[in-house]
Amino acid sequence: MIVFRTFLKILKSCKAPIILYTVLLVFFAGFNMESNDSTSNFTAEKPDLLIVNHDESFGFTQHLIDYLEENTNVVTTLDNEDQINDALFYRNLNYVIYIPEHFREDFLNHKNPQIQVKSTGDYMGSLTEMMLSQYLRLADIYNTIFEDEDEMLEHLSKSLSNKTKVEVTSKLDTNQLSRIATYYNFLNYCILAGCVYVVCLILFSFKKDTIRKRTIVSSMNYKSYNRQLLFSNSLFVFVLWLFYVLLSFLLFGTSMVTLHGMFYILNSLVFSICALAIAFLIGNLIYNREVINGIVNVIALGSSFLCGAFVPIDFLPDFVLKIAHVLPSYWYIQTNESVKLIEEFDFLHLKPVYFNWLMLLIFFLLIIMITNVISNRMRKKEN
Amino acid sequence: MFFHNFKYALKKLIRNRMLLFWTFAFPIILGTFFSMAFSDIENSEKLHVIDIAIVENDVFENNLLYKETFLALGDKNSDEQLFSIQYVDLAQAEELLSKDEIVGYLFLDKTPQIVIGANGINETIFKYVVEQIGQMEDVFQASLENKLRDSKDLTSLDSWYVELYQQTMEYFNKEQAMIQDISSTHLNYTMIEYYTLIAMTCLYGGILGMNVINQCLANMSSNGKRTSISPSSKWKLIFSSALAGYIVQVFGLLLLFLYTIFVLQVDYGSHFFLVVLLSLIGSFAGLSLGVFIASLFPSNENTKFGIIISVTMLGCFFSGMMGITMKYVVDQSFPLVNYLNPANMITDGLYALYYYNTLDRFCFNLVSLFLFSFVLILISIFSLRRQKYDSI
Repeated sequence: MIVFRTFLKILKSCKAPIILYTVLLVFFAGFNMESNDSTSNFTAEKPDLLIVNHDESFGFTQHLIDYLEENTNVVTTLDNEDQINDALFYRNLNYVIYIPEHFREDFLNHKNPQIQVKSTGDYMGSLTEMMLSQYLRLADIYNTIFEDEDEMLEHLSKSLSNKTKVEVTSKLDTNQLSRIATYYNFLNYCILAGCVYVVCLILFSFKKDTIRKRTIVSSMNYKSYNRQLLFSNSLFVFVLWLFYVLLSFLLFGTSMVTLHGMFYILNSLVFSICALAIAFLIGNLIYNREVINGIVNVIALGSSFLCGAFVPIDFLPDFVLKIAHVLPSYWYIQTNESVKLIEEFDFLHLKPVYFNWLMLLIFFLLIIMITNVISNRMRKKEN
Repeated sequence: MFFHNFKYALKKLIRNRMLLFWTFAFPIILGTFFSMAFSDIENSEKLHVIDIAIVENDVFENNLLYKETFLALGDKNSDEQLFSIQYVDLAQAEELLSKDEIVGYLFLDKTPQIVIGANGINETIFKYVVEQIGQMEDVFQASLENKLRDSKDLTSLDSWYVELYQQTMEYFNKEQAMIQDISSTHLNYTMIEYYTLIAMTCLYGGILGMNVINQCLANMSSNGKRTSISPSSKWKLIFSSALAGYIVQVFGLLLLFLYTIFVLQVDYGSHFFLVVLLSLIGSFAGLSLGVFIASLFPSNENTKFGIIISVTMLGCFFSGMMGITMKYVVDQSFPLVNYLNPANMITDGLYALYYYNTLDRFCFNLVSLFLFSFVLILISIFSLRRQKYDSI
């Protein structure tokens, strides 16, 4: 047990980075904790919109505002232009509409008043523009047909109330599953960074010349020493994994007690084992304590950025995804993305998940083989 | 003595490979990751052609409005193409949807019906377009009723009908003249990632600051013991060492600018001089942070190193390095955190230069950063003066 006790002593000194990674994870997961809608019915995406009205809220102007309030999330919390500009830049707001003074009067008199808008130019911005353009076109046509404002608004309302019947085939709660996938994707960074940092630090501590020589001359069986070291590191990785899984139960509640949840958990376990192998490989390679931090950051941040842990995988360019194929994180994140869309848990639907796990297993065996070859060579060199 | 110590402090720093990795290599490696991960993000967020299917039946074939509108919206040679449309039967449409090859399909019976796989933005756009065609039908109907009510001469009704149809179609296809777009042209939010990278490089200068101060402290290094008992002025030693650290740091920053501008093609805009000015003050803040941690925390070099890395990474996280939404959330919900966060002062200052036409916010961040450095240096001075050791 002496090896295990020493292991615990070293582990105690690694509290700070583990806490840091956990804080980052909770913050990241906390983003997406808004209310979840059931998706068995159609729910239109609603852009976030701000209306700055300089006209009187009456007649046609009020009708336009009512229409926008019905079809978008109207934001009311922004007070000044700087706040509005910030919200637009950070995509917290998709569209801003400035209704000018005398808008209603000018419109009814066919003077073509102009509405100034600010848009993010993304999907949501385009959707809002589409809505506003359609509204103004319809209003413009009805305004030429009917002279009376009330009659015009009546026909406009009737046209706008024309709703298409929509049937949704998927019964999945995609919002909640996306949130869980985001959490488990970010876990790639936490597990990789946590494992590599701690395991490397521990292996390095045991590799120190004085300690290594003392261990060699001691009565301790070499096999027992190795077994204890392997057990301690595996136990640490298991506890780390369990901690993050429990955290996901706290954050997502009963959604984790489903088949989807189980597959996310299993996937993270498979990845944790692979991360342990990576940590062993790096731990065997390094002979300088100072480089551990650098290696951890390059490996964890690199694979997280390139494989889709921080940036949604759909947004990554093709050439990056091709490069990412050589990293275990890619297969782990791909599984999370696949699980999100699975409706039936039969072999056919689970095939991509099993394939990704097979890839992780191949990575694990490959890394273990490389580690053995390297440590063998190093031992021979030392002898 | 000042130049003598400055020269050797500089030599020691340049020979420390670990320090050079954090200040020179790591920001460049991270910048490369950013460039790879974010190179397509802006484009991915723009509206793309949406894959849909339309069930071809008699109702659809006879409805000119639906048929022609979708023909126009699915025209591959048009810049306005919104959909990539497959005209299929119902069974094929269902199969395409189950294979995720389309976002949904339109089935026209007495009323239009669309079937989609799941909720989403593309599906919402598809639904709006179908509704818009329904609204066109309404307009057409209302115009017709209005004409019949007013018209006394019904002989010309046929030609008027064709004219109305064409007018309605033209109306819906023409550019909306009542909307004037005044959006900023500087909406590239991936710039924030590069700004956090500059902030990180500046604050990693703290490692250099910490290292040079440790070399002057008797309880931290044998070098410190030797210099402490020498008759040379302590402040001369500290200032010359700190200056050496600052120069190395500025050189690291210069490398980062050269790499991001010439290799990653990052455009820092027209205020490049101000960008450099803020970065120089930011580097000073990083150095102050290192000096502060080195002089105030009575722990070994590794712990101090860990504190600097953790403070920097957490600061960069709050200022948007791992997702820019975080910066906005913290700015809105916990503004005090970001007011005190040096990484955010640098990021926000650079953002203000990029996005705003005025310099107020930039100046506010510049002054905040200077005050932050000044306070840390002041505390460090009080902590470092008159240190005596009975035994070490």
